[in-house]
Amino acid sequence: MRFMVIVKATPESEKEGALPDAQGLLEMGKFNEELIRAGIVLAMDGLHPSSKGARVKFSGNSRTVIDGPFTEAKELIAGFWLWQVKSLEEAIEWVKRCPNPHASDSEIEIRQVFEMEDFAPILSEEQIQHKVAKRAQLPNQTANQ
Amino acid sequence: MRFMVIVKSTPEAEKEGALPDPELMLEMGKYNEELSKAGVLLALDGLHPSSKGARVKFSGKNRTVIDGPFTEAKELIAGFSILQVNSLEEAIEWVKRAPNCNPAGDSEVEIRQVFEMEDFAPILSEEQIQHKVAKRAELPNQTANK
Repeated sequence: MRFMVIVKATPESEKEGALPDAQGLLEMGKFNEELIRAGIVLAMDGLHPSSKGARVKFSGNSRTVIDGPFTEAKELIAGFWLWQVKSLEEAIEWVKRCPNPHASDSEIEIRQVFEMEDFAPILSEEQIQHKVAKRAQLPNQTANQ
Repeated sequence: MRFMVIVKSTPEAEKEGALPDPELMLEMGKYNEELSKAGVLLALDGLHPSSKGARVKFSGKNRTVIDGPFTEAKELIAGFSILQVNSLEEAIEWVKRAPNCNPAGDSEVEIRQVFEMEDFAPILSEEQIQHKVAKRAELPNQTANK
């Protein structure tokens, strides 16, 4: 099963030009190497503060662009991994072993990723295989193993 | 430059056992094929509702696990893609062309720039940066800046 493991932002990670703490980065690097050795990590990335981003609001056919930064750190993410593990419980156990991603209190959210087969109630087998094939063409698509 | 395009969740997407609307999926599929043909789409995925997830709170050495579901849809994401484009403006233009994920109502997509290892030059040595680049290159599906 695949899970997205999401590091929520904090006011500190959101500061303009914020870079992670070097020591924290290296500690997290060691944890990542453990995860990689265990064959769990499919992909991972960190995100610049929302001051370098934007939001697009969709309402019917209209599109409204709002430039960052955004104020509610609880609604923002700072980074993520994609993991391949056997269960939510296994993902939780690994997350508990993670160094605190931020200097202050923080939160990591774990979410199960849809596989195309999960859409069997609403798509035909042909439609599902089409989606699987299209995804396989993407340079860096993670796939359930 | 790489950008993460984050589809925010809605109460509908969060319903237990919720699956996307099939017509929306096919429309979104056509849009994704456009992105793919333009060479900008690196990866994409959708997420099950938060009832199938959990949160772990970190406080010092404490770890507290809270099972889903979580109530604030504004704090939740429903899916994401990773794009390779020349600027935030280009990413915004692509996103504006996407179908509305909530055809009956409103939805929101957030666009965030992805850190490249070179961005850490102020805090890491060149050797440390190259080590991180090498480690990432070993991952099966890591997206990398082109």
